[in-house]
Amino acid sequence: MAILETHDLTKRFDELVAVDRVNLSVEAGEFRSVIGPNGAGKTTLFNTITGALRASEGEVVFEGEDVTALPSYERVRRGIGRSFQITNVFGGLTALENVRLAAQSIPSREMSVGSQLFRDKNRFDDVTAHAQRVLEDVGLGEHAETKASTLAYGDQRRLEIGLVLATDPEVVLLDEPTAGMGVEETESTMALVDDVLAEQTLLLIEHDIDLVMDVSDKITVLNRGSVVRTGTPEEVASDEEVQAAYLGGGHA
Amino acid sequence: MVTGGTLLTQLLNGLSVGMVYVLLAAGLSIIFGVMDVINFAHGEFYALGAYLAVGIAAALSGVTGGFWIALVAAPLIVGVIGGLTERVTIRPLYGRNPLYHILLTFGLVLVIADGIEIIWGTQPKNFAPPALLSGPITIAGFQYSLYNYFVIAVGALIAAGTWLALTETRVGIIIRGGSQDRGMVRALGIDIDRYYTLVFAFGCVLAAFAGIVLGAKQEVALGMGNAIIIPAFVVVVLGGLGSFRGAVVGGLGIGIVQTLTQTYVPALTGVIVYLLMVGILLVKPQGLFGNPEWQNHGGEEGDLLTGGGGGILDTTTRRYLAAALVGVLALVPLGIGVTYSSYIPNSLVLNVLVWALFALSLDFVMGYAGLVSLGHVLFYGVGAYATVMMAMYVTPVFWVGLLAGVALALAVAWFVGYLSIRVSGVYFAMITLGFAQLAYNLVTKFDITGGSDGLYTGYDATYGLGIGEVGQVSLLGDIQLFYYVVLALVVGSYLVARQIMRAPFGSVLQAIRESEDRAEFLGYDTVEYKRRAFMVSGGLAGLAGGLATINSFGVGPSFLFWLKSGEVIVMTLLGGMGTLYGPMLGAGAFLGLKEILLTFGESTPGLLGEVLSQWQGILGLIFVVFVIYVPEGLVSLPETLQARFGAGGGGGGESATDATDAEVSD
Amino acid sequence: MRTDGGTERRASRRRVDRRDVLKAAGVAGVAGLSGCLSDIGGGGGGDTLTYGLLNPISGSYSSLGPFQRHGAELAISQLNESDDFEYEIEIARGDTETGASTATQAASQLVEQDGANYIMGAISSSVALALNSFALENEVIYNPGAAAIPITGASCNEYVFRSETNTAQIAEGAAVWTLENLGSDVWFHIADYAYGQSVLREWRSRMEASDAEFNEIGVSRAELGAQNYESYISEIQNSDADVLVVGSTGGDFVRFGNQAASAGLGDDIDIMNTTASFQSLRAGLGTAGYGIYSGVRYNASLTTGWNEQFVDAYTSEYPDDGAPGNFARVGYDSVRMTAMGIQEAGTTDPTEVKDALAGLETNSVLGDNMYRECDQQAMNPVWVGQNVEPDEGEVADVELIEKFSGEDAIPSCESTECSL
Repeated sequence: MAILETHDLTKRFDELVAVDRVNLSVEAGEFRSVIGPNGAGKTTLFNTITGALRASEGEVVFEGEDVTALPSYERVRRGIGRSFQITNVFGGLTALENVRLAAQSIPSREMSVGSQLFRDKNRFDDVTAHAQRVLEDVGLGEHAETKASTLAYGDQRRLEIGLVLATDPEVVLLDEPTAGMGVEETESTMALVDDVLAEQTLLLIEHDIDLVMDVSDKITVLNRGSVVRTGTPEEVASDEEVQAAYLGGGHA
Repeated sequence: MVTGGTLLTQLLNGLSVGMVYVLLAAGLSIIFGVMDVINFAHGEFYALGAYLAVGIAAALSGVTGGFWIALVAAPLIVGVIGGLTERVTIRPLYGRNPLYHILLTFGLVLVIADGIEIIWGTQPKNFAPPALLSGPITIAGFQYSLYNYFVIAVGALIAAGTWLALTETRVGIIIRGGSQDRGMVRALGIDIDRYYTLVFAFGCVLAAFAGIVLGAKQEVALGMGNAIIIPAFVVVVLGGLGSFRGAVVGGLGIGIVQTLTQTYVPALTGVIVYLLMVGILLVKPQGLFGNPEWQNHGGEEGDLLTGGGGGILDTTTRRYLAAALVGVLALVPLGIGVTYSSYIPNSLVLNVLVWALFALSLDFVMGYAGLVSLGHVLFYGVGAYATVMMAMYVTPVFWVGLLAGVALALAVAWFVGYLSIRVSGVYFAMITLGFAQLAYNLVTKFDITGGSDGLYTGYDATYGLGIGEVGQVSLLGDIQLFYYVVLALVVGSYLVARQIMRAPFGSVLQAIRESEDRAEFLGYDTVEYKRRAFMVSGGLAGLAGGLATINSFGVGPSFLFWLKSGEVIVMTLLGGMGTLYGPMLGAGAFLGLKEILLTFGESTPGLLGEVLSQWQGILGLIFVVFVIYVPEGLVSLPETLQARFGAGGGGGGESATDATDAEVSD
Repeated sequence: MRTDGGTERRASRRRVDRRDVLKAAGVAGVAGLSGCLSDIGGGGGGDTLTYGLLNPISGSYSSLGPFQRHGAELAISQLNESDDFEYEIEIARGDTETGASTATQAASQLVEQDGANYIMGAISSSVALALNSFALENEVIYNPGAAAIPITGASCNEYVFRSETNTAQIAEGAAVWTLENLGSDVWFHIADYAYGQSVLREWRSRMEASDAEFNEIGVSRAELGAQNYESYISEIQNSDADVLVVGSTGGDFVRFGNQAASAGLGDDIDIMNTTASFQSLRAGLGTAGYGIYSGVRYNASLTTGWNEQFVDAYTSEYPDDGAPGNFARVGYDSVRMTAMGIQEAGTTDPTEVKDALAGLETNSVLGDNMYRECDQQAMNPVWVGQNVEPDEGEVADVELIEKFSGEDAIPSCESTECSL
């Protein structure tokens, strides 16, 4: 059963069609990667699925529900989480507070106005415990009280993943989580993803083809906004059209 | 009867006013587009141009063509002054949030305005157009002011020239590109920053020219800059920030609309401009010709620098300090008749407390949710008016009035927030300003609000408990119960605000300030959070306004004057925003400094006294220095000082060492 | 001890106490932010009083405030030198700035800190109305410098004594004169705020009530502080009006007048304004002011009352100011007339002086005068005049055309909304 589907999803900017009738069907628990050359529309596709951009046409279906018209925060509440290509954490707040905010999001809907407004935020034990657990999970337990903006770059990327994780998503869209990292850092980050997001359905945008081949269940290749091919790593690697469109250049 | 001739006259009138707006708005818009500077001082450069022209023309009296020489020379001089201003004051601020430019240019307004007053005095100057251009002229049986033809022609010429320069010269193309999309220009490998001084100076030249042309038609007087700056901003925002075309269309459009409204819909005079601005921004948030992506360039916008974060003082120390401060405030009235008169607590300190509350309310949204409200005086004024009107028309029980004031301020904040929160950044600032100006104009129009005089009752508002009058219940001698009531309300408001910031709601606001995108992708409805925060803030501001009416014996339109919004922003930044207590200290520093300057100015004889009594200019100068060197506000001062002097051990020794080092290296 | 005079409304014991406390404290200890130690009353026992001069030194009316202050200071220094006046007056100074809140705070400072029991000043009617309330609450005598009718009308109180000529007095004199001498087809143009509205109301009602023919051709209202008046001017030019009554002052009228001259309005229509004779307006208008008619409250060339010695003293004391204008006159008369009440009462206590001063026959720059009992408005005569081209320089001279006596110019007690 597919947890996330898109039907003819299209996003246009004036003349430019950035995402062109994309049909995706992602199974629960699947590790799906989306690859394609620069400007293929990968990030725009993510933005349209998560609600950062409003789709021009087509629909996004999550767990059987049409979420196309929902604002992004509603999609998050339903279980679609995302990380950003450019590190986007709350720089002025501590690492723990970052994760705590993420952990607070879903429970906060159940809180009374009184406790929302006046009860000390650290006195919601479930939230705090959850946040601490997530922080440990992403390996930042020691940096709980460190201001996020002063964390090392790799740690900020970890924190980013922690933020996603703490909202308890069903599906996580990861936009180049290893961008700008060295080999070692990349490996440890992917190991982290593997470790902490083992139960989630994952969509990954990634440039490192070897890495993608290594971790993905299925790969979707985008070019100029449309899907060229979806299949297992082996199928994609051997597809001529894909090679022509994408691999042909640098990797021949 | 609307004849063709009447309509033509009115259109020409509109064009001549509009042309002046175009000259002002073009500079303002390009400066904003290229440099991100919201230049409140633009109106003062405009005034400076007019005054310089008066001076030059007077010096050349007898020389034929004095007007023409002044028309050319004064703008050039203002251009040079503008360029220097940019170099010295604005340059150090690039990369910071545009908000800091508001504080800076607000300071510059005070400095330049006082400079003008010192040089040219308070009396209005008559600056007549040359005989060649005066009087009406009849063309084809149609009689019209020759000078207006001149204004339209010369304005069009300059606008066209500017347009040519922007489209046909290399520098112009870069500047125009930069004002539309700075990132793109940078991506092309062009260092747009190098052109800043030129852009600023050029904007000042245009402003000065506008000042001269209009000054000769109206009058050259103090306050002329203040009178023009808000309409000029409206034009810029309406046309679209950074768009020259927008400035031209907006300027001429506003000029014509204003003129026609005056003739055909007089009831809307004064409000039409703001209605238009609010309306257009709500439908088209980037203005008529603005770049729709512009308001999303958040990544490039510098961060707001919030003060505090603890600094070098630990939590316990700060708690003791706060308790000590409240303690001192509670003891102040005991000094009446011993070390000072009742004026100090019952008037001066009380006023400080009210403003501290007002600044606290602004910090709640500005420092925590990143919402820069340029019209916060709206809620202050609404609270004040509602309080007084309840007391006058419904029940003399002051508390009921105060409660009504808070309730109405909350409602108005909900309404304004509902309409405008989704508009971000500078546009939000402008919409709030628009609403505040609407309210300012409305209260002057109706009898029930006392028109331009306001409502003064001899304010006999009672506690409603039959124990006396507010401000009239003496505990002992001149020690007033009301003082303690206000102190308790202000301290209480602070504690409530602080608790909210420690609760889940407040923590989300801080997340929004750090990164609204991210907060939304954690599942928070950020718009809703901001709206609610705006309501809380509006309610607190309304409370401040209501309390302020006691000592002023009522309320008048000055309670809604936009300069108050500017002042409260200045206090907030001065104290250190994002700390809640910083802005409150800022209010104390602002008003205390003013009081000291005023008192010493009056009592010091001679030149020093004269200088000191120009307190506004001195205050302005302090802002300028402050925003450059202590951007995180007063509360960060200990930290800043320690960083600068602390390391080398002993602040005093440091400079001495520096001096020796310098000698050695020579 | 003072008595509270049980009949007083809202008698405010504490404010009286406040000053006593201050004096009892020996004054010497008063430091704080005050730099005005020497100004605090009490040095000479009961023979000293402090006059607080509360004028707009910065803000909207900063071009006029200093004249008001100079007039009052001149009066005080003359009184202090005079043998006939038995009391010593000390001066405390404050700035109203632009709004009621700053003005009342400054007033508190003068009264509570500097010990002022008399205050004079303000030009904005909004500020003056706030100070009206302040004066009642604090039981200090207040001489407002604003012309708005409610100050000695609906908002009057027993502590307010006004030497400024109010809008109704000008209208009483000049409105019918305008109909009879300038034309019966009238256009009103006003600045749309309290002052302009009251001009419209007062002039229109008197024109309607008069026997002369009166046709109201139109009314235009510009917002206060408007920069551009050309649309109104065109409208007026295209109408059948033969006289234009303008209810605006200060910069509003200067801008209007300059634009009217540029459009050639005055060539076709006589312009009558309520304050065009003011020095600052004539200076602001330059040649554009020639020919404009005006209600005149004061002119330095008068030979009435104290005027000649006032003009001499003023010009020698403040040579930079030029000949004194109405604002200086108001400052001067306010203090001098109030001083006669103090002399009459034989005490500096404002609660007693106010009773002695109401209805007391005094002299003034404008001749015999009094703050009449029913509203404590000075019974100033008014004139109609015209701004004419001067013999030298550019600033117009005022030529007086007709005088209306104080009795003729003041509305009847019954028609004011004041009940004292």
